[in-house]
Amino acid sequence: MKTQIQQYEAQRGLPTFSVSKHGLFIFLCLLPAIVLVSIFIYYPLFKGVVMAFQNYSLFDLTDIKFIGLENFKAVLAEDTFKESLGNSFYWVFFSLIPQLLIGFIVALLLRRKFRGRGIYQAFIFFPWAMSGFLIGLIWRWMLNGQAGVINDLLLRMHIIDNAIPFLADPTWSMVSVIVANVWYGITFFAIMILAALQSIPDELYEAAKMDGANYRQQLFSITIPYILPTLIVTTLLRVIWILNFPDLIYSLTNGGPAGSTHILSTYMLEKLIMGQNYGQAAAVGVILILLLLFFSIFYLMATKFNKAGDF
Amino acid sequence: MLFLKKGFVIWMSLLLFMGIIAGCSSSTTSKSKSDDGKVKLRMVESITSPARTKLLREMLDKFEKENPKIKVELISPPLKSADEKISQMLMAKEDIDVLEVREQTVKNFSNNKFIEDLSPYTTKWNDWNTLTETIKHGATAVDNKPYYIPYGVYEKTLFYRKDWFEEAGLKAPETWDELVDDAIKLTDPKKNRYGYSFRGGAGSPDYIEFMTWSYLGKKIAPKDAYFTTDGNVMFDTPEAKQVLDTFVNLYKKASPPDSVSWSYPEMVQGFTSGMTAMLIQDPEVIVTADQNMKKGTWATAPLPKGTPSGVAQQPAGTAGWGIGAFSKHKAEAWKLVAFLSSPEQNLYFAKNNSLIPIHLSAGDDPYFKEGYFSSYIKMNAKPDEFLIADRPVEYKGYAEYRSMAEKDIQALLLGKLTKEDALAKWTDFWKKEKANKK
Repeated sequence: MKTQIQQYEAQRGLPTFSVSKHGLFIFLCLLPAIVLVSIFIYYPLFKGVVMAFQNYSLFDLTDIKFIGLENFKAVLAEDTFKESLGNSFYWVFFSLIPQLLIGFIVALLLRRKFRGRGIYQAFIFFPWAMSGFLIGLIWRWMLNGQAGVINDLLLRMHIIDNAIPFLADPTWSMVSVIVANVWYGITFFAIMILAALQSIPDELYEAAKMDGANYRQQLFSITIPYILPTLIVTTLLRVIWILNFPDLIYSLTNGGPAGSTHILSTYMLEKLIMGQNYGQAAAVGVILILLLLFFSIFYLMATKFNKAGDF
Repeated sequence: MLFLKKGFVIWMSLLLFMGIIAGCSSSTTSKSKSDDGKVKLRMVESITSPARTKLLREMLDKFEKENPKIKVELISPPLKSADEKISQMLMAKEDIDVLEVREQTVKNFSNNKFIEDLSPYTTKWNDWNTLTETIKHGATAVDNKPYYIPYGVYEKTLFYRKDWFEEAGLKAPETWDELVDDAIKLTDPKKNRYGYSFRGGAGSPDYIEFMTWSYLGKKIAPKDAYFTTDGNVMFDTPEAKQVLDTFVNLYKKASPPDSVSWSYPEMVQGFTSGMTAMLIQDPEVIVTADQNMKKGTWATAPLPKGTPSGVAQQPAGTAGWGIGAFSKHKAEAWKLVAFLSSPEQNLYFAKNNSLIPIHLSAGDDPYFKEGYFSSYIKMNAKPDEFLIADRPVEYKGYAEYRSMAEKDIQALLLGKLTKEDALAKWTDFWKKEKANKK
């Protein structure tokens, strides 16, 4: 068996269209995935980039032509675009840090066995099963300025004297969407970090205890370095997902009030649905992709991440 | 061992590959004539709601009974994305036979040749002659050709808490100034009571639209409703400034502070749950209010009039049934449209869907003559006090204006934009639109 696997490994290094029988086999195995990804990801991506250079508007589909960088110029000149760019950074930064910290703490707590851990885990992991749109809707009603649950509780606990109209105030709206997003995202970090934690060999902790290390020292010298690759990859993934996550904001505030909670992806949606301007929406999409591309490259270089696949 | 496994895997890959190709093929290969010679019609609705889908299915079953050779499949996408779904289906040239066309989408659809011009059918259709003027106007909005047969009119009316008004010794307001006064009198935040269900969120430009139209009255140019008869943009007038004054006053003094982000669900909920005294909305609210509120606590009244003009003016939103251009059974599709639009069927639909029916005969039906719908009958009986104007859907930038105005209105209410700046911005926008109009 070993030698045959070695043969496979050796031949995998060859260019893909070699006429060896293993090459063909590998190609056929990959074919369904290539086809699916091409149809559902690469083709729309290509079409979208093309659309960004056309005046594609639903108002008159018979009059589509290439207009160069007009869409980009129009979008970059809009105040709402600049605001949504700034909001995107707040959104990502202030959602990511709490999610990461709280998720990490939750994972540490769930690592040890205790009674009812299974049920507790189920509750913690539940938000991930819900759709972002639904979460936004629920939070929207909870935050209702007159009849919402949150105001009701705060009033009863005498923390505030008058109900707060959360969604009527730009700052509170931003805080609200971030809180809802943190509630949603803790789950992802908890799951991934818990999985990584469970792969740390116990011998390391035993050895550390024998050397007299306390909990804090164990945490920073053993736990965190060991799961660092996991943390790096999950953080990168989360940043990309958070930036691309319009569902929650769309249903919670629809980018309001006065566009103050718009991020790039919800702004793109608004251009699409309300403005029916596919060309400009595609331009925003292209800008979004470029942003994320540069971020990913920079991030991976900065974290010297060369152990892909290790988690 | 490995060789056998490999063969198996190759087979599975090929099978999966075929499966993907088959699954990705367009659905137009599905048969529209089933084996027993029946014609299968595909109908798509867009203003979907569970109650209405049930109602439609009931009517379609009746149609199938009367026409044993035709079966109708009803497709009901969820409300929020239904119009996009229909656009996408039409862009993909799917053979939809009957579809819901709205006054906002008819221009798109007819421009892109997605729907049929129904004139060859309507010239031979008897029931065309008994349609109300508003309906005929709505049906032929594009190029004076009927591209769809409306099933009803969406007009706004004033809903108010009769019991609160009687308690305070007030009567239903007839003008916007009276409305604001009454709303302020009925506002009592300590009791969680507010005078008006304000719409500051999605859809707010509609309210600025009909308020401005009401204040300008007959000064609005008949076929170019965002401009006055003098050729100015309607936002470039002293009346428009009055509108914004009234609008902001109403929000600040008589509406829940949260309502800057309220859209349809919150407005209606505010009224039906006893938080607000007044609401301006479509007739669909009548059913909701009837179910959730005690009889006698609420009533309807005609839309308030603009103070300088003495008239009210709003769009008569219509939605109806059209025939898809790629349909393979246009004759049968017309049969279905004619069935749904016949006086008896339409009356049944309108009654159960809380809409104003399309034929003149409906005015004699007691359901519409008395009760909650009477405000509509009152409005329709005085066409020179309650005018109808058309939304400027022939302007490419109308959709963009609404998207922009929604944000501007919220900025205005939050004090981040002055009334003068808002009006100037909208005036500039429409001046450019006029200049660019092909």
